[in-house]
Amino acid sequence: MAIIERPAPTLPAIVTPTTTYGVLKRPVSATGWRSWVFTVDHKKLGIMYGATAMFFFIVGGVEALLIRLQLAAPNGKVLNADLYNQMFTMHATTMVFLFVMPMAAGFANYFVPLQIGARDVAFPRLNAFGFWAFLFGGIFLNMAWFLGGAADGGWFMYAPNSGPVFSPTNGVDFWALGLQITGIASLTGAINLIITVLNMRAPGMSLMRMPIFTWMITVVQFLLLFAVPVITVALFLLSFQRNFGAQFFDVAAGADPLLWQHLFWIFGHPEVYILILPSFGIVSEVLPVFSRKPLFGYPFVVFSGAAIGFVGWGVWAHHMFASGLGPVSVAVFSLTTMAIAVPTGVKIINWTLTMWGGKLWFTTAMKFAIGLIVLFTVGGLSGVTHAVAPSDTQQTDTYYIVAHFHYVLFGGAVLGIFSGFYYWWPKVFGKMLNEKLGSWNFWLMVIGLNLTFGPMHILGLQGQPRRMYQWTEARAGEGFFNFAFWNLVASIGSFILAVGILLFLINVVITARNPQKAPLDPWNARSLEWMTTNPPKEHNFDVIPTVHHLDDFFHQKYEEDATTHIMTQVRTAEEIMAEQERNAEKHIHMPSPSYWPIVLAFGLPVITFGLIYSHLISVIGGVIVLFAAYGWALESSTAPDSDFENNSPGSGLDKVTANHD
Amino acid sequence: MTDVIHGHASSTGISNVKLGMWAFLGSECLLFGGLISTYMLYRGRVTGGPRPSQIFDIPFTSVSSFVLLMSSLTMVLAVSAAHKDDDRKINLWLTVTALLGATFVGGQVYEFTAFYKEGLGFSTSLFGSSFYTLTGFHGVHVTVGIIMLMSLVGILKRSSVPGKKAEVVEMIGLYWHFVDIVWIIIFTLVYLIPV
Amino acid sequence: MSRRQFDNWLRATIASVRVVLRKVFKPLVVVAGVSVVVAGCATNAPQDTWQPKGPNSKLIDDLQQPVFAVAGIIGLIVAVAVIYTMIKYRDRGQPIPEQIHGKPALEITLTVIPALILAVVSVFTFGAIFKLAKTDDTQMIINVTGQQWWWEYDYPAQNEFGITQPIITSGQLVMPVGTKVLLRETSRDVIHSYWIPALNGKRDAVPGRVHTLRLEADKPGIYAGQCTEFCGLSHANMRMEAVALSKEDFAKWVANQQAPYVAPAKETLAQQGEEVFLNQCVRCHQVNGLMRADGTPAIAAPDENVWSGAAPNLSHLMSRNTFAGAMFDLLSKQCRDEVWNAPSEVVGAKYLAGVTEECLNQKDLRAWLRNAPEVKPMYANPADLAVSNGKYRGMPYLALSEDDITKLVAYLITLK
Repeated sequence: MAIIERPAPTLPAIVTPTTTYGVLKRPVSATGWRSWVFTVDHKKLGIMYGATAMFFFIVGGVEALLIRLQLAAPNGKVLNADLYNQMFTMHATTMVFLFVMPMAAGFANYFVPLQIGARDVAFPRLNAFGFWAFLFGGIFLNMAWFLGGAADGGWFMYAPNSGPVFSPTNGVDFWALGLQITGIASLTGAINLIITVLNMRAPGMSLMRMPIFTWMITVVQFLLLFAVPVITVALFLLSFQRNFGAQFFDVAAGADPLLWQHLFWIFGHPEVYILILPSFGIVSEVLPVFSRKPLFGYPFVVFSGAAIGFVGWGVWAHHMFASGLGPVSVAVFSLTTMAIAVPTGVKIINWTLTMWGGKLWFTTAMKFAIGLIVLFTVGGLSGVTHAVAPSDTQQTDTYYIVAHFHYVLFGGAVLGIFSGFYYWWPKVFGKMLNEKLGSWNFWLMVIGLNLTFGPMHILGLQGQPRRMYQWTEARAGEGFFNFAFWNLVASIGSFILAVGILLFLINVVITARNPQKAPLDPWNARSLEWMTTNPPKEHNFDVIPTVHHLDDFFHQKYEEDATTHIMTQVRTAEEIMAEQERNAEKHIHMPSPSYWPIVLAFGLPVITFGLIYSHLISVIGGVIVLFAAYGWALESSTAPDSDFENNSPGSGLDKVTANHD
Repeated sequence: MTDVIHGHASSTGISNVKLGMWAFLGSECLLFGGLISTYMLYRGRVTGGPRPSQIFDIPFTSVSSFVLLMSSLTMVLAVSAAHKDDDRKINLWLTVTALLGATFVGGQVYEFTAFYKEGLGFSTSLFGSSFYTLTGFHGVHVTVGIIMLMSLVGILKRSSVPGKKAEVVEMIGLYWHFVDIVWIIIFTLVYLIPV
Repeated sequence: MSRRQFDNWLRATIASVRVVLRKVFKPLVVVAGVSVVVAGCATNAPQDTWQPKGPNSKLIDDLQQPVFAVAGIIGLIVAVAVIYTMIKYRDRGQPIPEQIHGKPALEITLTVIPALILAVVSVFTFGAIFKLAKTDDTQMIINVTGQQWWWEYDYPAQNEFGITQPIITSGQLVMPVGTKVLLRETSRDVIHSYWIPALNGKRDAVPGRVHTLRLEADKPGIYAGQCTEFCGLSHANMRMEAVALSKEDFAKWVANQQAPYVAPAKETLAQQGEEVFLNQCVRCHQVNGLMRADGTPAIAAPDENVWSGAAPNLSHLMSRNTFAGAMFDLLSKQCRDEVWNAPSEVVGAKYLAGVTEECLNQKDLRAWLRNAPEVKPMYANPADLAVSNGKYRGMPYLALSEDDITKLVAYLITLK
């Protein structure tokens, strides 16, 4: 995602912070690179999350292409065994932790405050810290490539294969510590967004009037809040074993290797919903807009999302049906896994019924959303086949599973993200992505992903296991349609998919160069984020809206005829905007930029680097963290009133909540 | 309209910092839950070195646990002083709380040293690894609490705490009580329930 | 509706369907159609999960086939419903519709139906789970131990099968047909997973734990498998083959495994090969009954050299068809095909013939002896062995001369 310079926002009041309690003076610059690096603006941070996640998407995609090149023919020689193992480990790690999660964080950062009618998040500096921690964590994870080899134990990193003897390079250390850093980022982000949603809604924005995207993001943040500490414990145990001689996974000392699996999947299964629910939220915004109808069964979608969030905690052992659990546990987890299919099915039904009776407009965003409904269903249904535990013992760790979760995560999460790109691009950058190119982008991706992951169902059912750096003709079967054919199809498909994604990047560049501005309300949208300029002003809204309906913006534009129920437009978006500008609040007090988030975040990889190489470096990192923490604590989130021009004491200035995050 | 967007308005009526601390503590429950589960799984697995019953000094740890419990009381007094805006008393009770906390951490350091001398190293057995990890994590939490308390005392002396004083004291109080409660659970499960 | 109205309506509908099909769905339909046709072609892949060859796998298959069918039908219904909706409600200039927020009754119905389907599925699933976990009807026990990157099979003494002393073998699991075999799995290093798709689902072999897996074959034959828990560098090369023999053939196999060691004739190449073996290989590889020159038994000590503690026992090596974790065949391609493709009545006899001199796969065996880590990735480079206290993980490079290799091959072929 390219970062497109946008015109400097015009502020109703000029803010020039002059005093500071911190050790360093506050940054005041509102232009150039400093305006990005020290920003606490949720919209800038959202764009930064998006751009960084897109970069890691390309990294993970190149890893995937190398994997498919290696497997295109039997006894592949593109990668050796060691490199292949690193490649699939880092492909998964990158896609999960460095692409889908931060991309969702980017969308959440940008749109949650806008959708609930807020001017920023609850803890703006914590928000900036979260981004920098994610970025530094991602860089730290990938540094291992250049320092003796990346992690090679698979993203699930089962013990004891992750132990110091079985994985002697530093790769696993970088992996475990890097994920700790991104975990801190996720945790701070979760706390921030939860409090934002709970506390900073516009007047009248009750929970059941919140846009469904905000709802799904909220569920995801609760999942993160409780899932991240579990993986944190697991990663600590792993690091302590590798770096300090603890015995947690040392079988000779009596350790139980299944401990890791339980901890990992107690985190790992909620993680699946952490990855998919944001996209569910996005398409639940897109489908109503382009069907010209509200989301069908809004409360059902909200509660099924929450239900998925709850039941998601009780299904983790379905990743372990072959690991030797007793039959009672297997039966119980089989049942809960089937149970979670029900609320998931509810969503599919509701999306379809949202379109039913509508006035459908097949924009690229809409195409991606519909693509998600169909392709996620494929992944969901193959999921049901391995909820049947005995059948799962045939399918697990074969390509059938690879097919399943790629339909869920690519057909689900990624298509949802792309739907979001096309839908919200004009909002974020003030320009429309090219629809024609978008259509090509969509079809190439859909065809590519079906060609890549569709054959994997067949490969898996015919018995090709996962995570093998080579496959052999001895197991390939007879005839034309054997492993060789399907593997080749999958490899070709992966390159078609890559071309589809390349078209998106080209579209971004073309759009950035196109001088034409997007209209104010290009999609005739429904929720509050469209009730402001494109891109939004720094303070989001000239007037904080008061909410009377679900889809309030739509109801400000349209009125229903009491007898025919036909909706007629009564006001345009431009009129609504003009009215807002007339009534603009005079003094809007926005959180001020800060050095501390990036400095504090930088201390973290220094500490972890030191844990691997020299504890002295860790001490330096610790000092950086402590120094930054003090600077942070001593500086107030928002510059004080005295920093404002035209300040009249005691006049009851309108300002945004000042916090001490 | 003004009252909504003014100052510290919040939809729930609880300030952001306090709600944020609650969320963080919710997350911490799962962190200690994971560590405690690990300990409970491994506490009887001793292939070398002493067993739990051979080294635990229950009376000693009971006393240091009592000290930590008392620090919760003094923390409550600090919060109440903050609500009354009595700076002298805030300082006094925060300092006492930090001192009690430091006594507890000192006790833990002494205990670790004693255990180590009796042959229980970090890599001696699964019991050793999981015991030191669990209690060590708790000790680090107490230490972080002490640093926060003392920093707050220092900042208050400069009388330049950003934001509402009572709220900050209350937020640190929440953290401190949580750490105390976790210790009660750890003390019961680790020391009092025989293997 | 008059005739003409109906005709017009029909024509309009068909036209609009055509437009949408041409514009939007043609590629999708073509891809889907081709996939279905292509998927129908059976390939007889050795690890096909839809071709059960024993009661346990049959139980799984009977359970999963209806689930696949129902899932397929539901998937089709969703796809059709979505496409139909897209056609019917595409923008034809109709006004903005009524803002319906939902119909709870409809939604509850549509929630309950899948819940009921799943409830039925779960009943059958429960039955199968408990049947597959049964161990009290076991007729024969085989201990299976995974190690990077091969499997060891250890048959405890079981008189009813003529096994009077434990048999230790590797590469191929040999079992009698129509017998309820219970594998007791464990591992010596990391987690592996034992999987013969034609006979049962997979079960992890976890160090420090013993897991059981039922196996039973209906007919004699060779059933392929593959380690399915990622176990490090050569995970891809850790294969297994289960050989099911008729009860009579199995008895012959047992008898052969328990037959005493036959030393090679004096003054032959094979005898020189035995010396090479005693100098090099016996450090890790046991051959039962092999004597040193001084008349003491040659006892292998793999635990001193290999991190995981064992190396394949090579007694009666040539009664097996594979070596190096079943990565390579001892039989040449042609001979192997003859055994694998033999009808079930004769497969036993062919298998029991073992590896003859003409059938020996010299190329792979020699390559293995020449430089094992080159043909199978293993941690055998001394530079990487610091963390494992200098112990190997896999067979190292032994720097054997071509001459020695020839001698060794001549010796190994005598281990019938």
